[in-house]
Amino acid sequence: MRNSQEQALQSLIDDLRQRAAEAEETLAAIRDGSVDAVVVGGEGKDEVLVIGDDASAFRNFMEAMEPGAVAVDSAGRLLYSNARFRQIFAEDWDRLKGKLLSEILPGPASQLIGKLINPDSHEAAPVSVSFLEKGVERNYLVSARPVHLGTVRGFAVTFSDLTERVRAEAAERAERIANAIIASANEAVVVCDRTLTVTHANFAAEALSTEKLVGARLDAAIPLKFPDATGILDIGELVETSLAGTPLRSIEAFAPMSPGARDVMVSAAPLNISDDGPEGCVLTLVDLSQRKKDERQMHLLMRELDHRVKNTLALVLSISKRTAASEETLEGFQGSFSGRIEALAATHNLLAGASWESLSLRQIFSAEVSPYTETGGERVNIIGVDLSLYPRAAIALGLIFHELATNATKYGALSGEKGSIVLEIHPKTDAPSVEVTWTEKDGPAVKSFSRKGFGHTVIARSLSYSPHGGTTMEFEPTGVVCRIRIPASDVA
Amino acid sequence: MSTEEASTRKLILYVAGETPKSLAAISNLERICREHLPGKYRIEVIDLKKNPQLAREHKIVAIPTLVRELPIPIRKIIGDLSDEQKVLINLKVE
Repeated sequence: MRNSQEQALQSLIDDLRQRAAEAEETLAAIRDGSVDAVVVGGEGKDEVLVIGDDASAFRNFMEAMEPGAVAVDSAGRLLYSNARFRQIFAEDWDRLKGKLLSEILPGPASQLIGKLINPDSHEAAPVSVSFLEKGVERNYLVSARPVHLGTVRGFAVTFSDLTERVRAEAAERAERIANAIIASANEAVVVCDRTLTVTHANFAAEALSTEKLVGARLDAAIPLKFPDATGILDIGELVETSLAGTPLRSIEAFAPMSPGARDVMVSAAPLNISDDGPEGCVLTLVDLSQRKKDERQMHLLMRELDHRVKNTLALVLSISKRTAASEETLEGFQGSFSGRIEALAATHNLLAGASWESLSLRQIFSAEVSPYTETGGERVNIIGVDLSLYPRAAIALGLIFHELATNATKYGALSGEKGSIVLEIHPKTDAPSVEVTWTEKDGPAVKSFSRKGFGHTVIARSLSYSPHGGTTMEFEPTGVVCRIRIPASDVA
Repeated sequence: MSTEEASTRKLILYVAGETPKSLAAISNLERICREHLPGKYRIEVIDLKKNPQLAREHKIVAIPTLVRELPIPIRKIIGDLSDEQKVLINLKVE
């Protein structure tokens, strides 16, 4: 009996000790904050009291926020998340609650956000993160601020969706790049939509129109005429053909309304931005005006060259016949003919060097007389202001100087040791002719040509192509004097 | 290995809705059991916010509290279970 009383007492003591230990543990847990609710009994009815602030207002506020928002404790454990956050990760709260943020977020984003919610870290600036949401990459600006939730210190973390802004910035940047590419092209570049309304045009393209291109209809702003052979009626048809999937390259056209009415070479390609078919057309127009002008100049020059070659051949043929008629021996023919052709060639060379524009009279004289003696020395002198002669007069004068120099060498001033020649260039006046005088002196006694050969004909008639051109020969005792009249219209 | 350790542990976690400490206790308990008692535990979570009267069975005062009902004797661990060593000792894992 006594033993059973002792056992009961001992059991009671053990139970009291157990309760005392539990009570101490409970108080310690409350003190160190590892519990945040207590059960209170009253009037036979138990009730749970949460220690600290009521977090429901905070939660309601977070729920109403547009950005995704979560509350985490200092370990990064989810204490609450709003609807937007749950939508981002397509999870319901029962699966998210109590999880670490690092278990939910992908690695790189988790590391960045981990720095924000590290109590020892001083990182406070928001960070940009991106991750896939339903297979589509989205961008968020994440920021964290310390908060108290009941007895817990933690962080409120918000996820602001920047996806649309990032996309808009990317689109804007792509647009800027596209504009820069178009602007930097040397050729005219025009982009139009399916209704032919111009959406982009560079500086070179604007120069093809009298009105502002962007916003205008392409067929009105830059109407083009195509050669019949292309089978294209107008620029609208060109665009339609391109939109149908056939790129068109290097088609020549004429832009009658463009300033200066230009020849252009057009290429058109469909503008494919998505897989939904072309949204417009990109046209490049190369200005061919200069090339066409060059081609016309080339054809002109070729016709001119053809004309001159024919004239020269006729002249050579005439010289050949007339020289043959006036020479009695083959040697005489060879000498005279070669001399005359060389004289002609010398003037031609000078004219070729001057692009067949005009020649200096002094140059012609030097070229023709220098084979016989030194010009500009004691025996041959030129006085007077130089003249610039057009080809027709230059060739004639070259032949005349050649014949005069040949005669002077054979019979006149240059045939002896002492004779000399002076070429006097008279100034150009209002008269229809400009005179040049060839004067020989101190040569042998002069007699008129006993037989007027082809040389004399050349001197007399080479400038007779004009009524204001010709020569007069005077056989003075002191030497030959030849007065040469050059048509003023052939003097530049 | 004793019979006691070999038997399945029946664990009852008393929480108060979704207070931070309740959420922490659930998360910590799941992690510890997953890592140290794989396949040898059964957890029952009782929300005393919804059913306060259930606190009487184990004389629960502070929340969260974990009760190891089996194997006997019953043991209580008060707090958010963030002290892993303390939890493991009370669950007699180490």
